[in-house]
Amino acid sequence: MKRAGFSTRWLPILLLVPQLAIIAIFFYWPAVHAVQSSFYLQDPFGFGSTYVGVDNYADLANSGEYLKIARFTLIFTVLVTFFSLGLALLLAVKADNVIRGARSYRTLLMWVYAVAPPVAGFIGLIMFNQSWGPLTELARSVGWDFKLGVNFNDTATAMVLVSVWKQVPVNFIFFLSGLQSIPKAVREAALIDNRSATGRFWDVTFPLLAPTGFFLLIINITYALFDTFGIIDTLVKGEPGNNPMTLVYKVYVDGFRGNDLGGSSAQSVVLMVLVLALTVFQFRLIERRIHYT
Amino acid sequence: MTDMTQPVTPRKTRIRWSALADHAVLILGSLFMLIPLLVVLQTTTTTDIDTIKHGPQLVLGDQFGENLNKAMFKASGFSGENTGTSMLMNSMILGLGFALGKIVIGMMAAYALVYFRLRFATLAFWLIFTTLLLPLEVRILPSYEIAQKMGLLNTYTGLIVPLIASATATFFFRQYFRSVPEELVEAARIDGAGPIKFFVDILVPLSQTMIAAMFIIMFVFGWNQYLWPTMITTEESMYTLVRGIKQITQDLEGTNIPEYGRANMLALIAILPPVAVVIFFQSWFVKGLTESDK
Amino acid sequence: MNKFKITTVAAAFAMTANVAYAEVEISWWHAMGGALGETVNQIAEDFNASQDDYKITPVFKGTYEETLTAGIAAFRAGEQPNVLQVFDAGAATVIGAKGATVPVQDLLIDNGVNFDINDYISGVRYFYADSDDKMIGMPFNSSSPILYYNMQAMEKAGVTAPKTWEEFQTVTAPALKAAGYTALSQSHLPWIFTENFMSRHDLPFATNNNGYDGTDGTKILVNNDAIKAHFTAVTEWQENGYFEWFGTGWGDNQTPFEEGKVAIWLGSSGSFGGLSKKDLPFDFSATLLPYWEAVTTEPKQTFIGGASLFAMAGHDAADNAATAAFFKFLTSPEVQYFWHKETGYVPVTEAAYDMATKDGHYDRLPAAEVGIQQLSLPAGENTKGYRMGFYVQIRDVMNREYGRILTGETSVEDAFAAIETEANALLARFAKTQN
Repeated sequence: MKRAGFSTRWLPILLLVPQLAIIAIFFYWPAVHAVQSSFYLQDPFGFGSTYVGVDNYADLANSGEYLKIARFTLIFTVLVTFFSLGLALLLAVKADNVIRGARSYRTLLMWVYAVAPPVAGFIGLIMFNQSWGPLTELARSVGWDFKLGVNFNDTATAMVLVSVWKQVPVNFIFFLSGLQSIPKAVREAALIDNRSATGRFWDVTFPLLAPTGFFLLIINITYALFDTFGIIDTLVKGEPGNNPMTLVYKVYVDGFRGNDLGGSSAQSVVLMVLVLALTVFQFRLIERRIHYT
Repeated sequence: MTDMTQPVTPRKTRIRWSALADHAVLILGSLFMLIPLLVVLQTTTTTDIDTIKHGPQLVLGDQFGENLNKAMFKASGFSGENTGTSMLMNSMILGLGFALGKIVIGMMAAYALVYFRLRFATLAFWLIFTTLLLPLEVRILPSYEIAQKMGLLNTYTGLIVPLIASATATFFFRQYFRSVPEELVEAARIDGAGPIKFFVDILVPLSQTMIAAMFIIMFVFGWNQYLWPTMITTEESMYTLVRGIKQITQDLEGTNIPEYGRANMLALIAILPPVAVVIFFQSWFVKGLTESDK
Repeated sequence: MNKFKITTVAAAFAMTANVAYAEVEISWWHAMGGALGETVNQIAEDFNASQDDYKITPVFKGTYEETLTAGIAAFRAGEQPNVLQVFDAGAATVIGAKGATVPVQDLLIDNGVNFDINDYISGVRYFYADSDDKMIGMPFNSSSPILYYNMQAMEKAGVTAPKTWEEFQTVTAPALKAAGYTALSQSHLPWIFTENFMSRHDLPFATNNNGYDGTDGTKILVNNDAIKAHFTAVTEWQENGYFEWFGTGWGDNQTPFEEGKVAIWLGSSGSFGGLSKKDLPFDFSATLLPYWEAVTTEPKQTFIGGASLFAMAGHDAADNAATAAFFKFLTSPEVQYFWHKETGYVPVTEAAYDMATKDGHYDRLPAAEVGIQQLSLPAGENTKGYRMGFYVQIRDVMNREYGRILTGETSVEDAFAAIETEANALLARFAKTQN
C-alpha cells in the first residue's frame, strides 16, 4: 500500500476497533471453538465427552458418502457458476445492445436479486410440485418424467435451476456495469476493425470484461458453496434422503439437525480451510489485477 | 425510426434482425425471471383447497383480499404479536440496522486500512478478510452461546451485531478507496485538512454511490436472514418475515391443509420491500458497483 | 460492598414478591407450525384461563430439529425453556443426557400429582420411558402408522382392505390394478416400513433391549431376513405397478391418494383430521397396518411417532410446580379429547379414550379410532420402543438407502448391509459422547 496517508497513530486503531472486536467475538471465538470440538465426541447438552484425536477427520476421509457429497458439491458449483455467468453475460450483452426498453429490461432482470434463498426454494417447490408444478408439467409434455425428490438427477437439476435463477441478476448487474464502462472510443474502433458482432465480442469485449468475470467467478463459487443452503434445505423439504446435497448442507444436517458436534465441527474446519484457500487465491488475483490496471 | 419507409438494404435488414434477436433473448430472460413470481401471485388469489387440487391456474381467483387479510393481520403465534405487520417492522429494523451497521463499521475499517500507515496493517488485513466467506450456518452453535452470555437474546442488537461479523462491506470499501485518486488526499493535506475532516468532508460524500450500492446489498442480505433470527429470538414480537413464512410453510408437509394462500402471500410481502429497494435505487446500485470495480 | 448487599436484598425481595403475588411464568418451546400451532396456542390459553397461579407461553421454534437444537443451545447457556418438545428420533439424545431434564414421573409425583403409568394407553406408555419403566418424557402428539383406503376403489375392484401383506400382493393389489389404480403408497419408510415393521412383527430392533439398557455396545438389528424379504417384495410390487414411491416428502406420497390415483395409503393416524377437511372426491376409511403372516401369526401393537414434552432441568421449585400443573392439565381427559378431535393425534390416556368413545366420536368417525386400537393391541417383547443415539442420522441413512433401492441404484442386500454398517458406526460414536 503505497498510498499517501496520514500518520496519526491513535485514529486508525480507533477506527479498526469496532470491526476487529465484532469479528473477534462473533467469528474467531466460534471458529476456535469449532476447531477444538472437532477433536472430541461430545454430548450436545455438555455432560459427556471423549477426546478422539483426529478420528472425526479420519471418519470423513474414509466415508464414501462424504466423498460423494464432495464430488456433487464440485459438480454443482461448476454448473451453477457456469450457467449463472453464461446466462448473465448473454443477457448483459443484449441489454447493452438495445436502446429501446433498456431500463425496463434491466429492472425485470435484476429484481430476483432481492428474493431470500428459502423463498426462492419455496417458489422452486411450487414450480416443481410433483402433481401440478408448471415446470414438472412442461418436462412431462416433452417426455421427461420429471420427479423432484425421487430421481437424484431431477432433484439436482431443480437445485441448479433455482440457484441459477437466484444468481443471474447479480452477475447481470456486474456485467452490464462492466460493459457500460467500456469507453466509446474503444467500441467505435472495434466496430471499424471487426465487422462480425461475434468476433467483436470475443476479440474486444470479452477481454475487457475479464477482470469483472474473475471477480464474479469467486463470488459465484462462494455463492454455490454456501449461499445456496436455504434453497437446498427447502427443496429437499428438510429430509435429505437420497437427494443430492452440498458440503455446507451436510454440516447443517449432522451438526444442527443431528447434534453430532464433533463430526460437524470437523466438517466445518475442512470448509474453513477450503474457504481460506479460496480467499488467499482471490486476493492474489485481485491484487495483481489492481497492480496492472 | 425514420428509415422505416426507406428501401431496405441488405445490411440494414441484418441489423434489424439482430436487434430483434436481442429483444427476443431479453424477453425470454425476463420471462424466466418473472414467471415464477406470477405463479406465486396466482396462488394468492385462490383458496388453499383449489391450489392443493389443481395447482396454479391461468386465471385469477377472488381470494386475494382474504389471503392478504390472513397474512397481514392474523397472528400465527400465541401472543398475537407476530402479525404480518409486526414481522414487517422487525424485518425492516433488521435490514436497516444491519445495512447501516455494516456500512459505518466497514467504512471506518477500510479508511484505516487504506489511508494510514499501520505497523500491524498486514495482520489486521488478514484478520479481517479471512472472515469474508465462512457463513454463519457452520458456526451457529458457539455464536449462539456467546450471544447469550452477552445477554443479547431477544434484542435487536443480538439480531444484528453477530451478523455483521464478516467483512464484505469492508472489502468493497477498501477496493473503492484504493481507486480514489491519490492527489485528493495530498491536496487535502496541503489545505491543512486532518484525517477526520478529510474522511467526513471529502471521502464520505465522494463515496455516495458506493454507499448506496452497499446499502442495497446489505439491506437485502439482512432482510433475508432466516436461521440466526430463529435461534436468537423466542419472543414473538421479535419475529421477522422470513421466519414467519417458515412457520406457515412447515405446515405444507404436515397433516393438515397446507395454507398455500397465506404462505405465498407472506412470501410476496417478504419479497416486495427488498425488491422495491433494488428497483428504486438501481441506478446508484449499478453506478456504485461500476466504480468499485475500477 | 454495601451497594452489592442492597441489590442482593432487593433482588431476593423481588423474587419472594414474585412468588407471593404474581403468577409463575413458564415457557414451552414447540415445533407445531400452522394449524397445529394454533391448537397448541388454544391449549395454552385454556390452561392460563383455568387458574391464576401459572402462566405458560408457547413459542414456535421451527422444525422438530430446530426446536431440539435451540433447546440444547439454550440449555448450555442456562436459558432453557421449562417445557421442550422433542420428537421421536431425538429422544435418545435427551434421555441420554441425564441431568438435562426432570423425569416427568418424578416431577408429577414430587408436586403431588397422582401418577400411574398404567393410565396411559399401552402403546404410548414406555416409548419415552427409561429401562426401569420410569416415564421420562410426557407423550404429547402421538400417532401411529395406519392404512387408509379409498372405499370406492375397493368397491370397484371388489376387494376389502388387506389384513396381511400376503393378501395384499395376491388379492388386493392385482384387483386394484385391474380396476385402474396404483394399489399402494406410503409416507415415511423408516417409520412405517422399518421401526413399525419391527414392532408389528415383534422383532428386536437393536441389542441391549432395543437400546434401552445403555449405549455401550448397542447394535442395530435391521439387517434381518424378514425386513429384507419385505423390501424385496416392495420392489416387486413396484415393478408390477402395485406400489409407487414419491420421495421422502410426506405430502408427495399422500397427494396421489387424495387425487384418487392411489387406492391405499399408509400414513399417520394423525393425518385423519386433515384428510377429512380436504373434501376428497371419494369416501375413505382406515384400518390396521398389515403384517406378514409368514413372519408372525400374532401381530402386535406399533410404535408411536410424533413427539413428547420434556421438563427441562435447572428451574426452581415454583417453576417446576407450574410445569407439573400444566402437565396435569394437558393429560386431563378433556384436553386430550380436544387435542385428539382437533388434530387427529391419539389421546394418550385411557380416560380420554373412554371420554371420546362415550361422546360418540368414533360412531361419527370410525376411522378416527384405528390408531388408538392399533396402539392398544397386545404388547410383545420388542414393542416398548427403541432408543438409539444419533437416530436422526440413522434415519437419514435409511432414507438414503431406501431411496436408492426404489430408484434401482442399489440392491436390497447391499442397502441393508450399508445401513447396518453406517448405523453401527453412528451408535459407537454416540456411545463415546456419553462418557
